[in-house]
Amino acid sequence: MTSLQSIRQQLDSGDLSMVGVVEYYLHQIKQSRDLNIYIEIYREEALSAAERLDAKRAAGEEMGALYGIVASIKDVLCYQDHQVTAGSHILDGFESQFTATSLERALAEDMIIIGRTNCDEFAMGSSNENSYYGPTFNGIDPDRVPGGSSGAAAVSVQMDTCLVAFGSDTGGSVRQPAAFCGVYGYKPTYGRISRYGLIAYASSFDQIGLLSKDVSAIRETLSVVEGQDQMDSTSADLASIESTAPQKTYKIAYFEHIADHPAIAPAIREAFQDRIEQLRAAGHEVVPVSFDLIDYLVPTYYVLTTAEASSNLHRFDGVRYGHQAKDAHDIHELYAKSRSEGFGTEVKRRIMMGTFVLSVGYFDAYFNKAQQVRALLTEQIKTIFAEHDFILMPTTPDVAWRVGEKVDDPLEMYLSDIFTVLANLCGLPAISIPNGVHEGLSHGIQLLARQFDDDRLIDFSASL
Amino acid sequence: MSKYDTVVGLEVHIQLNTKTKAFCGDALSFGDSPNTHVSAISLAHPGTLPVVNKVQVEKAIRLGLALGCRINEYHFFDRKHYFYPDSPKNYQITQDNEPICIGGSIDIQVNGQKKTVRIHHIHMEEDAGKTIHDIDDHYSMVDLNRAGTPLLELVTEPDMSSGEEVYAFMAELQRLVRYIDVSDADMEKGSMRCDCNVSVKPAGSLTLGERCEIKNLNSKRFAREAVEYEAQRQIKLVEQGITFSKQTLHYNVVEKITQSLREKEGAEDYRYFPDPDLAPMRVTPAYLEEIKTSMPDLPWVVKERLINEHGLVEDHAEQIAADPYLVALYQEINNDLKDPKSVAAFMVNQVLPNIEAETYSESILPCHPAMMAEYLQLLKSGKVTASIANQKLWPALCADQSQSAEERAATLGILINNDTGFLEEIVTKVIADNPDQVKKYKGGKKNLMGFFVGQIMRQSKGSADPQAVQQLLAEALK
Repeated sequence: MTSLQSIRQQLDSGDLSMVGVVEYYLHQIKQSRDLNIYIEIYREEALSAAERLDAKRAAGEEMGALYGIVASIKDVLCYQDHQVTAGSHILDGFESQFTATSLERALAEDMIIIGRTNCDEFAMGSSNENSYYGPTFNGIDPDRVPGGSSGAAAVSVQMDTCLVAFGSDTGGSVRQPAAFCGVYGYKPTYGRISRYGLIAYASSFDQIGLLSKDVSAIRETLSVVEGQDQMDSTSADLASIESTAPQKTYKIAYFEHIADHPAIAPAIREAFQDRIEQLRAAGHEVVPVSFDLIDYLVPTYYVLTTAEASSNLHRFDGVRYGHQAKDAHDIHELYAKSRSEGFGTEVKRRIMMGTFVLSVGYFDAYFNKAQQVRALLTEQIKTIFAEHDFILMPTTPDVAWRVGEKVDDPLEMYLSDIFTVLANLCGLPAISIPNGVHEGLSHGIQLLARQFDDDRLIDFSASL
Repeated sequence: MSKYDTVVGLEVHIQLNTKTKAFCGDALSFGDSPNTHVSAISLAHPGTLPVVNKVQVEKAIRLGLALGCRINEYHFFDRKHYFYPDSPKNYQITQDNEPICIGGSIDIQVNGQKKTVRIHHIHMEEDAGKTIHDIDDHYSMVDLNRAGTPLLELVTEPDMSSGEEVYAFMAELQRLVRYIDVSDADMEKGSMRCDCNVSVKPAGSLTLGERCEIKNLNSKRFAREAVEYEAQRQIKLVEQGITFSKQTLHYNVVEKITQSLREKEGAEDYRYFPDPDLAPMRVTPAYLEEIKTSMPDLPWVVKERLINEHGLVEDHAEQIAADPYLVALYQEINNDLKDPKSVAAFMVNQVLPNIEAETYSESILPCHPAMMAEYLQLLKSGKVTASIANQKLWPALCADQSQSAEERAATLGILINNDTGFLEEIVTKVIADNPDQVKKYKGGKKNLMGFFVGQIMRQSKGSADPQAVQQLLAEALK
């Protein structure tokens, strides 16, 4: 049940029904309960959707483009009349009144949603330990974190509880857990998938991303959910963008000295270098390019994302929905208590940082400076892409760490995002591809492409 | 001359008359049940995003063009952060850094003196909802129907120097935004309101005094009163040598005084930054041209044309040019009548004084424009006398338009009767009935002619032609 092609063949031959597919996944969910993947399982709903599809199929009707795909959705995606909490106490019991554009498009093409996956609170975290619903554990070794913030989304695919997982990626939240869990994790070009119905963390970085063991399932899902949406003015009109043709061999850049970076673990370095040799052997031109801003990536990312987050999270105030403090005497106390009780430690930390960098007297030194660095990065990356088709990097500097290992050291945790934040800073499409297992733990290799070169990126990834 | 100069700058909020809100599809409404125009976007539910209402941008540009502003080719929205329950996102989408319109000016007239008030900029923003504190004993109530309504904030330079000028400015601006269909500018409904920044300084001094801001004035008259009161209050303090600090004030319309709302602390930190949900916008030259061609002629252009091409007196031209509907009405009637001066005089003297509404449309006219044209045509033909028509025919036509103007005049018996036999009979009778007056007239009291004409007109029930009557009388009394 891990390849779309094989599922469709079995559905075509009549060896399998959609009800059978859903029952299989429900069984897998039951088997992996201890990993704390799902906050909510849509058991009855998924089964009746499957029955409906089977009946439609039996009636000889034409099936939708995503027929055969069962997906999990991260707890930051709005689904009408279903709860969505962003893994936070502050959204206790909140039900969305509408469905995210991407999910609406997928549902209209016969995709089935099986449940809502756990995540770091408001998608802030790299280990899935910051959830109000407790940590999710890595299926390859339950003592290890699955990565984050779409950690449970990655495990939902890893443990065969669904074919595709909808996650979100603001600085690596899809790619890093994909690497830690040994699956594909794809973050589209900024603007490729509508953000309408995605609970915002940092609006100019956020993208809905897709995880699967099967790249073709990612490709097919993308082709349905992507494209302009009148509800999101940052979504792109793909019809106006010319796509580049696939090639047999590519020019691939990697940052010189990246393998010597002090953050990188020996096993990752080796696997990275092996991959370069394999690509060269396959006829691709793989060349080092100079890039001297690598140590600015994480600071720039955290200044800008916390600034946007501090603003985006203003709306959670205990007045109209979600958690409301019980014993407040006036409006200011209501705000302070509801937010203090509702948000977890990491979210509070980022709100405070973001508030600080936007404050009078610090704005120029932090926010503005970081915006300038972002512009500079975008310029440098553009220069690299003028000569090269892809940039190759490890997805993460190391394999998954132990649960609890970095909880008290946020800076150490932030530094683990060093290779993933670039794609979000520059709005580039990027994908993490499984790149082997070291001492029983998976890791990934990452490819970045030019803006809107997603199709070629995915096709090339499938060929590796 | 006063020993002090008053210096006033305004921040005017103008609610746009778009169909929907600034950043979502909820309808604009006034007076509907609370919280009936509140989608998930208005309520700032998680996952929602704002999308710019293009009509609001177009209207902002229209006002900018009318005021001679520079239209900023690249502009964007910022977020202004503060927590308050009537602002669901707890930030307001506004323009801090790159407003849509920069510079420009408005000419006003006070006591026959023309003055130019410069505009600093105009920016777009969204309105908040309403918080109501006096419905419930324990809770404040919030109505979010208004939340997200598109506003323009127009900020002037401190170019006004009296309450009178503030009044004139607001009146001119109000007239203009209605003219170009940007806002109904109904101050009673709050769709136009202003904050007045007032300071005083010794006459001729170049240094401005400490400034106080009077918030949220919702009538031109209150704005004038408040500014005058506040200037006098500050002058008194200055004369007594009392220093005062920057304050935010409220105008108490009952006691007619300004009262402190709060001391203005060091500027609040709103943490403005560009809204990442709304991509920067570009006003292309082609788009600007499109808006320019869709603009009506502005009131001062129309006024000049009415004076120079139609030969109207300035006062009439001014009053007709004040409203686009009046201009259209004038043109419609004049197309039939081809007599600009009579049409203008009729509108100014007979139609406008009877209309109390703030904005004009056919529905508030006393009678149908076609009937007005018939009425004026009848007067022009000389078939009725002007004074009788004014007294009898006009009210009758306003009350009932089932007959044509001429039929109605006939029914009333006021069509001029040119039958000389009929007139001579009345003249003879009037002379016979008033021997004393005849004697006095003949004795030299020539002003008794008016008395005789009046008698005859009355007996003819208004159907006599006054000129013919005069001729006959002059003969008979020789």
